[in-house]
Amino acid sequence: MTWISKSVTGLGLLFLAHACYSAYEHSALHSTSTAALSTTSHIATAASSLPIDISIETLVAVFTVCLGLVLGTPELRPIQWRVWAGKIEREGEAGYTNIDGQVDKDYVGNPFRVLESRPGFVDIRKQRKEFAAWVREGGGSDATIKS
Amino acid sequence: MLSERELQISPIVQESVVHNTKVLTTLHNLTASLFGIGAGILGLESYPGFLFYLLFSLLTSGLVYAFRVRPGIIKEAQSGNSSGMQRYFRGSMELWTGGLIEGLSGFVLTWTLFYGLVRA
Repeated sequence: MTWISKSVTGLGLLFLAHACYSAYEHSALHSTSTAALSTTSHIATAASSLPIDISIETLVAVFTVCLGLVLGTPELRPIQWRVWAGKIEREGEAGYTNIDGQVDKDYVGNPFRVLESRPGFVDIRKQRKEFAAWVREGGGSDATIKS
Repeated sequence: MLSERELQISPIVQESVVHNTKVLTTLHNLTASLFGIGAGILGLESYPGFLFYLLFSLLTSGLVYAFRVRPGIIKEAQSGNSSGMQRYFRGSMELWTGGLIEGLSGFVLTWTLFYGLVRA
């Protein structure tokens, strides 16, 4: 997503620079030609009429850069507590990564973390069974204890 | 505005509100200077210039709605419950007119600068 936004923005800025230079050249050329032809009173009125292609290019460029900037914005976050907590519960850190693929600094973690680690609800027999199985297999790798 | 009782029933995450507002403000500040460049190149004066700013700001908000707000609402609607715009903003006006005033100064700044550069 990020390279799309960057390339669209870059393309729009290129168009915008071209349109700006064209408008500048047009106004400079127009003012010199009209100054050579007639009196200086016509300059202001003559310079105010921009060719239609430059106008269209400017509008398209502004729209393109705008589109690129919008595509580059980070994802919005749900503000309702239940929606927000549900999203964290379902997606975890994956829902809170920024464009570079790192977890955002203000990611606070699962709000139900306290509930999930209550000592009274620990299944101690299951843990003992797992530990016994781990000892029986030799207790070598870490992968078995996690399963 | 929400009453205190409603806030207790369905609480709101302040961090997310701040994050969403920050995203919108940054976007509007950036795009306002961009619209100033556009208006300066086109050589707009007085009311047409401000109209240009208004139109393009609304267009930006529309793009944000289409690319950032709408997918979330659709995903939520598929899972059963739909709250619409209330998912990301406290009111829909926050999205549509939120960044208009903040960006105006930047718009006028670049507008006058590029008008002067092109027409000098």
